[in-house]
Amino acid sequence: MGSCRHKWEMADIRYGYLVVEGCPKCGGRSSFFSEEPVAPVDEYREGDHFWIYLGSSQAVKFNLKCMKCERVVNLDDMMGLMMSTCNDPQCKVAQIGIKEGKGTIVYVALCADSSHTSGKCVSAKGIKALNEYFNQNIKASGKKIVIVPCDKCCNIDKCEGIVIADTGLTDMY
Amino acid sequence: MKLSELSKKGGLKAINTYKDKEIEGVYISDMVSDVITCTKANVLLITLQTHKSLIAAANLVDVAAVVFVKGKKPAPDLIELANKVGIGLFTTAVDAWTLALKLVELGIK
Repeated sequence: MGSCRHKWEMADIRYGYLVVEGCPKCGGRSSFFSEEPVAPVDEYREGDHFWIYLGSSQAVKFNLKCMKCERVVNLDDMMGLMMSTCNDPQCKVAQIGIKEGKGTIVYVALCADSSHTSGKCVSAKGIKALNEYFNQNIKASGKKIVIVPCDKCCNIDKCEGIVIADTGLTDMY
Repeated sequence: MKLSELSKKGGLKAINTYKDKEIEGVYISDMVSDVITCTKANVLLITLQTHKSLIAAANLVDVAAVVFVKGKKPAPDLIELANKVGIGLFTTAVDAWTLALKLVELGIK
């Protein structure tokens, strides 16, 4: 198992909504994935926070499973992926893009707690498997995908990027 | 079939300068969450979607080129992003179904 050169495939693919909430008291933001037929918009109290619905978009969640050794890497802690377009020289994500050079595009794996008050982000094993998965399938020469956890962003509200989500498709709800 | 040949025979109009890759399949979708789970490398993606997130998703799975159907044209910032990541962009006046039939006729599966 430990020496397996993993060949990853997506597993446990679930379609649903990425719901984003904000707390007006602390300014924090939180997000969760819902598999309800319609995205929940409830406001609720949680400890010192009062979470208010900010928006939602159709999204997908998945895990990665090795086709050779059947190891599964759980990606429940990842809420989505964002293609980085950040060019702030102080931002670690932008620095990685510059260091990797032409042909490499950096994507940020977004966790549920953008403020990272809990100290947690997308797991290191999840990031490693995501990098292996997306790069194993590339056929274009000189092309590389680098995926980093969102705690590398200078500021999640200011770090520029394009989130992969189907925003606006269910606005009629 | 090479992208240039497919473009000529399929009546696709190029929007940017593209790499002449061998097309290995076709996928039709307007949802980016669908693109990252169902599309493979060197696929021709047919869509109505002109949001930049389409390119963010298509690049992640190494899509060769995108065809915007029904004459839709993307904004300059999407074209700029596609140029940066090396994804060819095309447009056609016909709808997705009509284009799919044409591609099957050309032997693309």
